[in-house]
Amino acid sequence: MTNRIRELRARHGLSQLELAQKVGVRRETIVFLEKGKYNPSLRLAHDIASLFGLSIEEVFFFEERQEPENIE
Amino acid sequence: MKKTVVSLVISVLILAALILWALEGGVSNDIREILMMAGVVLLVGFGLFIGIGRARSLRRKEPPEDEMSKNVMNRAASLSYYISLYMWLLVLLLSDRINMPVNSLIGSGILGMAVIFLFCWIGVRVFVMKHD
Repeated sequence: MTNRIRELRARHGLSQLELAQKVGVRRETIVFLEKGKYNPSLRLAHDIASLFGLSIEEVFFFEERQEPENIE
Repeated sequence: MKKTVVSLVISVLILAALILWALEGGVSNDIREILMMAGVVLLVGFGLFIGIGRARSLRRKEPPEDEMSKNVMNRAASLSYYISLYMWLLVLLLSDRINMPVNSLIGSGILGMAVIFLFCWIGVRVFVMKHD
């Protein structure tokens, strides 16, 4: 899974520490997220996306993943 | 805060005991003793690393633990438990062939479990989290 956290953080002028404090995690977690070394929980993904005023899909992306067929 | 202080105090106490023991002439050329000493030093280093990390987080007004650190700890604990079972099996198999008192054998096994946990913790952080 990749994400746009670094780009969005830079756009909003936030440091890694400030973002970590706003979403209630350690700075290290933000570092791991930005490097793509950690996939966040749904709650954390939601908190980060909400902070930037975006939806989860606009911040986090799956790589090479086939979308499931629509049930309808 | 309490966990941070406890981990730092325990690490410092073990380090102090180790230094005193070495100064009293406890270190010999026996490879087993040297290995045990290296294991204890590794664990003290790990304890200090965790304790200092937590203290730094508190100073920055971050939570000392968050979902990633808990996740890493849980995974490392479950993996090291699994590996430790095999280590004890090996200790049981070798116990007849090794000339070592039972107390020392159990002590070494417990130290081995702690060292396995340390390596699992490093492994989970470096390799496993990335491939979730």
